[in-house]
Order: sequence, then C-alpha cells, then structure tokens
Amino acid sequence: MTFHRVGVEVDESRAVGVRTSRWRRLRPGDWVVRLGAIAVVLGVWELFGPTLNKLILRPPSDIFRAFFELIANGELQDAMGQSFRELFGGLAVALAVGLVLGVASGRWRFVYNAIDPLVSALYSVPSVALVPLIAVAFRSVGDAPRIATVALFAVFPILINTQQGVRNVDRQLLEVARSFNTSERRLWTDVILPSAMPYVLAGVRLAIGRGLIGMIVAEFFIGLVGLGYLIISYENVFRIDRMFVPVIVVATMGILMMGFVQWLEGRIAPWLKREQ
Amino acid sequence: MATPIRISVEHVTKRFASGAVTVFEALDLAVRDGETLCIVGPSGCGKTTLLRCMHGLAAIDDGRIVIDGTEVRAPSRKVAMVFQHFGLMPWKRVRENVAYGLELAGLPKATVQERVAHYIEMVGLRGFETSYPNQLSGGMQQRAGLARALAVEPDILLMDEPFGSLDALTREVLQDELLRIYQLAPRTMVFITHSIEEAIAMGDRILVLSARPARVRELFQVDIPRPRTVESVIAHPRFIPLRDHCWRLLRERAA
Ligand SMILES: Nc1ncnc2c1ncn2[C@@H]1O[C@H](COP(=O)(O)OP(=O)(O)O)[C@@H](O)[C@H]1O
Ligand SMILES: [Mg+2]
Repeated sequence: MTFHRVGVEVDESRAVGVRTSRWRRLRPGDWVVRLGAIAVVLGVWELFGPTLNKLILRPPSDIFRAFFELIANGELQDAMGQSFRELFGGLAVALAVGLVLGVASGRWRFVYNAIDPLVSALYSVPSVALVPLIAVAFRSVGDAPRIATVALFAVFPILINTQQGVRNVDRQLLEVARSFNTSERRLWTDVILPSAMPYVLAGVRLAIGRGLIGMIVAEFFIGLVGLGYLIISYENVFRIDRMFVPVIVVATMGILMMGFVQWLEGRIAPWLKREQ
Repeated sequence: MATPIRISVEHVTKRFASGAVTVFEALDLAVRDGETLCIVGPSGCGKTTLLRCMHGLAAIDDGRIVIDGTEVRAPSRKVAMVFQHFGLMPWKRVRENVAYGLELAGLPKATVQERVAHYIEMVGLRGFETSYPNQLSGGMQQRAGLARALAVEPDILLMDEPFGSLDALTREVLQDELLRIYQLAPRTMVFITHSIEEAIAMGDRILVLSARPARVRELFQVDIPRPRTVESVIAHPRFIPLRDHCWRLLRERAA
C-alpha cells in the first residue's frame, strides 16, 4: 500500500528549501554582485573594525597573514584533514541513512508511522543537546562520536526532504506509468526518484550547513581536535586573527560545497533548467 | 453486415468516496471495430472515470468491461491512452517520453529508435527530440503525448479531452493532424471531448452522456464521410443540424 493510492494529505511545508526554478541558475551578473558584496563587507571591516574594538575585530589583512602563518607551521592542514574526515564521514552516513529512511517512509505507511514521531522529536530538540549523549554512547573513542554528531546534525533535512519528495510524486504521472504497464522497478527510476530529486538536493544543501555546525560542535565538546580546537585554543590566548582563520575555512567550505551541489543539480537534473 | 465490437461496457457501475458518489450506474455501451466513438457530456459527469475504467486504471463496482473478449482488469498493451494533462515526464526529453511505452514493452533498441523517429515525424515534432517538455508549448507537448501513445501501435486509443486545454488555433491544427493520422491507419478510438464541434469532426458516432450519475442520453451516427478535415466538416450540410441536435441533448436536463 502506498500513500499516493490511499490519499494521505501531504504537508509540503515540512520540505524546506525547495527552490523555484527561477533562481536555480546563477548568471554572470550574479557573480559580480556576490563578489562585490563580500568585498564591501571586507572593506568596511578592514577600515572601521579596528576602531570599534582593536582586540576582537582584527582587520582582514591580519587574518590573511595569520592564514599563511598557520599554513607555514602546518597546523591548519592538520586541523583541516581531521575536520574534513569527520565532515565527509558524517555527511556520508547522513546521506545513506536519510535517503534510505526517507524513501522507505515516503513510500510505506508502516515505516512512516514507525519513524515519524522519533524524527519529529529529534528534529525539534536542538541537536547540540544530544552531543553529550553521543559522547557517552561512543565512549569518546576516535572519530566515531564526532562523525556521529555530524550525521545527527545533517540527517534530518535529507530524510524529511526525501520523504516529502517521494510522497509528493505526481499522481497523474503514476497513472501514466501504470497505463503503460510499468514494472515496480521502472516506476522508481522513471517517476518516483526523478520527481524526488529536487527535494533531495535541497535537503543535501541544508545538510551541508548543519553538518559544518555539527563538526565544530563535536570538536568543542568531544575531544578538542581539528578546526574546532584551533578556534578554541587561539581564542583562549586572544589570537583573534588566528582564531578567524578556521572560521573562514569553515565558511568557505560551506560556500564551495553548496556550490558543488548546485552544479551537481544542473548535471543530474538538467530538466530543471529553463531558458529565461 | 455488423461490425465486430471491440469494447463492450456491460451494466457497469462506478462509485467513489466509499460508495457515497455514484459516477455511473448500470451503464451500457459498445465501441465498434475501427470506429471513433466520441463521448460528450457535462463536466464532472464521469467521462474521465469511464475511460480510466475501460483502461483498467480504476476498478469498477459492478458489471464488466470486455475488450476483444477479455475482461479488463489491468491496463493492456493493446490499449494506449492520451491524457488531458499530457502526462509527460518533465525529466525525460521528447525522444525518451515517446520511447517510454516501447521500452516498457521490452522492444529491441533498434526497433524503439526506429519507431520513435517515425512517430515524432508523424506528429510534426522533428527537431525537438532533445527538448524537455517544459521547453515546449502546450500543443507540442500534446503532440509528444500523442506520439507516445501511437508509438506502441495500440489496437485501441483512448483519448481524454486531448486538445481540451489548447488554444482554438492549435486545437484545430491538431484535430486535422489526428484526422490525417487516422486516415493513414484507421484504428478503434474512444475520444472524449466537451466540444460538440470536435465530437462531430472526429467521431463516427457520438455518445451524449447526462450529468452525474451519467446515463446514455443518446447515441447517434455522424453521417459525414471521410476523409475529413475540420474545415470540410464545418462546411458540410449535416454539420449544423448535428450540432443543434447535440446542443439540445446537452441542454435538456434530465429531471
Ligand atoms: N479519484 C477520485 N476519487 C473521488 N472522486 C472522484 C475521483 N475521480 C473523479 N471523481 C469524481 O467523479 C466525478 C466524475 O469525475 P470525472 O470522471 O473526472 O468527470 P469528467 O471527466 O466527466 O469531467 C466527479 O464528481 C469527480 O469529483
Ligand atoms: Mg475529465
């Protein structure tokens, strides 16, 4: 039994971040505005930041210098290696769990009923509150608890969006497929998965942001390593210029990874592009 | 000599909402071999539902529907449907949409390619094989929907207001195309429409349904010879009398 046939109402508001196609593709002019905005923020910061608070608002030029210092002594590379291992490990787990549970709960009422209360509860609780539990559960051994933390932060947008994508599949297209005698397997590849794709990718974009937060949180709470450790240790000695380096690395990671997903969307879902 | 019956709807009852809504009750009708039977009726009277039942997409509550001696239970490959909403997959290019039924039928790749090219040509979509549906106008999308149904070379075509959402000009162009395609290879067709003019142009017989629960108001012959074009049908002396007759039937509400 499937949702589409029993006619359960779909709550689209839970599938967050599904963009309209008008904004999906960036045009050259968009880049000018984007880079311009960053330049303006950096310029104002450089000029006026130190006049407000000399200690905290170190100018971008200082941070730039700190960046090369941390590369020269190898600290930054080490921390990035550590952090990205956790990030990509956690995102991979979140992707696997989110896709499997999202698809299953979108398609089968039993799975939906089984996991929905749990998902809603865990999604409502601030994930940070659960980090100590993870630390205890994994006995703080190796990277596992931090990977689990990243996965916890990242899994829900993927799971919920995938579920809604599968449930929101166009019933008329399901009927077209039946009319041409589709097999169950072809129903998935021809109709259900492609129609869920934009939801899934929007979920992944959100998961990247949450995963980066999860990564830093895990490094604050569980074992002090990686970029999180750099932030804490340089903050403690008031080397704010150096503290900003890992912060900016995390921000840049976010931009790059989301850009990558957007690029990927153009590749694996080219029908969403529409000539203006 | 009597023409053989291809589709026979025998005392069919269909209800929705767990029996609260009766769409039609004890409905009887027959579609003859090679004819185009047009079905007209007020909006919401159950035309789409009837077609879905004929195709085995919706279960019936009583009676039976028989196609070529076999009772309909699930969609058969002998029958193809053209949908009012076009029903193209947005993620498939025109070529892949047209190939859809052929692939599901498991035909060899070469045959699929050959037939796809043939029917894309027939419906006038050459040059748009690699377009996505959202890059096409409504008329072109329905051409693709038509090609997809024709490509499986069905014995029977079920058309659910295929041109209903198109503008008048595009509709007439496509009506002419369909008449031409029919003349090339006559096949049994059930054609649902809410346009009386379209029913007269396309149909060999017209079945007028009453409002829900749908009953057969009248079934009559369109005595306008083929080959036809929309223009030639409208110019035919029988056109106006047939149209007025249809109008009267639709306007008279069953008490
Ligand atoms: N899947 C459905 N569930 C419940 N009611 C339906 C369903 N499909 C159609 N109906 C109802 O059946 C009636 C006939 O619908 P339909 O066959 O679409 O009419 P038509 O095609 O003649 O406009 C309408 O009252 C409609 O609301
Ligand atoms: Mg209808």
